[in-house]
Amino acid sequence: MLFAFPQLQRRLSAPIAIDRRRFLTFGAIVAAGMAASACDGGGDTHALGHPGLLAALGPDAVRNLGQRYRESVPSESDAPRLEAAIRSSRPWTARVGVAHAPLADQVRDDFDAGRTVVVDGWLLSVTEARQCALYSAL
Amino acid sequence: MHVDARALPDGSVIEGDLCLIGAGAAGISIALEWIGSSRTVLLLEGGGFAFEQAMQDLYRGTLGGLPYFPLEAARLHYFGGTTGHWAGFCSTLDPLDFEARPWVPDSGWPITRAELDPFYARAHRLLELGPYEYDAAQWQRRDSRLVPLPLEAGVAWTKMWQFSPPTRFGTRYRAAIEGAPNVWLYTHANVCELRANESASAIDDLRVRTLEGKEHRVRARQYVLACGTIQNARLLLASNARAPAGLGNANDLVGRYFMEHLEMPSGQLLLTAERPQPMSMYSFEFGKTRARGELALAPAMQREHRLLNATVSLTPATLDAPPMSTFEQFPPDSMPSFRGATRPASEAAGAPPNEPAAPPATPVPRLFALLTRQEQAPNRDSRVTLTAERDAMGVPRVELRWQLTALDRRSFRGFYEVLGRELGRRGIGRVRMHDWVLESASPSWPKSLGGGWHHMGTTRMHPNPRQGVVDASCRVHGVANLYVAGAAVYPTAGCANPTLTLVALSLRLSDHLKRLFQDFRGRK
Repeated sequence: MLFAFPQLQRRLSAPIAIDRRRFLTFGAIVAAGMAASACDGGGDTHALGHPGLLAALGPDAVRNLGQRYRESVPSESDAPRLEAAIRSSRPWTARVGVAHAPLADQVRDDFDAGRTVVVDGWLLSVTEARQCALYSAL
Repeated sequence: MHVDARALPDGSVIEGDLCLIGAGAAGISIALEWIGSSRTVLLLEGGGFAFEQAMQDLYRGTLGGLPYFPLEAARLHYFGGTTGHWAGFCSTLDPLDFEARPWVPDSGWPITRAELDPFYARAHRLLELGPYEYDAAQWQRRDSRLVPLPLEAGVAWTKMWQFSPPTRFGTRYRAAIEGAPNVWLYTHANVCELRANESASAIDDLRVRTLEGKEHRVRARQYVLACGTIQNARLLLASNARAPAGLGNANDLVGRYFMEHLEMPSGQLLLTAERPQPMSMYSFEFGKTRARGELALAPAMQREHRLLNATVSLTPATLDAPPMSTFEQFPPDSMPSFRGATRPASEAAGAPPNEPAAPPATPVPRLFALLTRQEQAPNRDSRVTLTAERDAMGVPRVELRWQLTALDRRSFRGFYEVLGRELGRRGIGRVRMHDWVLESASPSWPKSLGGGWHHMGTTRMHPNPRQGVVDASCRVHGVANLYVAGAAVYPTAGCANPTLTLVALSLRLSDHLKRLFQDFRGRK
């Protein structure tokens, strides 16, 4: 089984299989996106740190999820790094010529592509897991 | 007609054309089919018409494998059998369940779902179910409140269930059986041995005993073993006068491949849509709900991820109140509490059957507990064997060694990963898995391990006698006039509760036997 983010696989007993071709494609796009995101100023931190899960799960549970994520992924334990990580994964939309698709779409894309992670038992998209983490860090 | 075997003179000989051993759902379903025929049918029941502790004790055995219910508590030993306390859950096996699946060892039936469809439809009438319809969209047309979740058909789907009132065979069909001039019901007639001819190629007669010590003989042209999955195996193994390993056991298969449905609380579903859709489709109220859906994975996903078949039911829940498994709900060391926890037939009979589910509570709940019903992979080492201890009739008691495999364990997690992705992708919700589900490589099982009291396997169906005890007609390989009815013949379990399928198979067997008797008549 492969996982989109090797560091998460080690620390979070990552959940889902994606095939190797998808993994490599995703890695290449993320790399390209990281370069692009250097000059991408779109999206404020407050918006990035408000996951869609807030309405359904409530602030305490979301904060708890976020803390669990940050504990498990030290490389994404503070707000700047989390913000960068979320932004870096957004080139999925730049690829089709859109500056920024709604984060909700990005979350759905994550599920579609198998970019998921298990936090406290919840199967989450990597983007929304980072959003929860950012929420807990703000 | 009814005769209490205790009232017969000791040493009586009872003769008929067709002998049905066991008067549970399988035996009674067949007997009803023969009412009014020119054949004499003998229906033998070990118990009477109500619960008797001494009768129940005949089912007592030991447990040598994974934790399980006391065997004397897992089945009822009187007319009507375990329909005396079943909950009425019915669904069909899926077409994929009948196929040989490379990732499921020993899978595959010698018959197809299409062959069973007409018998499913007939079984619906006996079980007092609604129309033979298991398509979620069709149910939505019947009741606009039953809206299935918008899942991609190639990934996941809503598998429909229907609910019997539930039909208590013992009360529902007693008058019909007793009033039939050609069906002779013998109660308190415990079959202790199937006596075979010298070459063990046919049954000559049965040895029947009462607790009071009387012993009778029963002779018929054809015999159907319909005592339940564990007792069927026990009787075959114990009938070893002519075949030392037991009847039908030349290839050491009788008693093996015992299967259960793993029914375990596995996680939660949180609906995340701003305005979640009403969930009436998935709600259930005992005695009222006509049909409901559970979530399942499409065959393509089962193939791709090499998973066992499963469904999951949704029950409104809270984050801090995890539901318990069946084993946890009914402490296995307490027979009275187990029996008391089931609804008596009178209560069920008074409830209006097949009414639509109650309107959903408002607002629509967002959080649901997930209870998985997963098939158990066929496992040769999961088995029933005889012990040295004997019951009051002198029949060896059994040991059940219920065993599971790594495939059983990892399929839970695989199921929720695929389903969770689909629910997330569709913007429906998020899945949370219990720790034990996440620990998919663990060799042990959690304390929430539970089954559905569904006993299957032990005399599995296969055309090759080296791989099955009965053939596709349910005849015991190598024994000309002995058949098995019931869930004991299932090669795989599917994820649907077994009663509907076992009744359908019993009706199919009944038709086969009718053709057989017609052939006999033609040869005269």
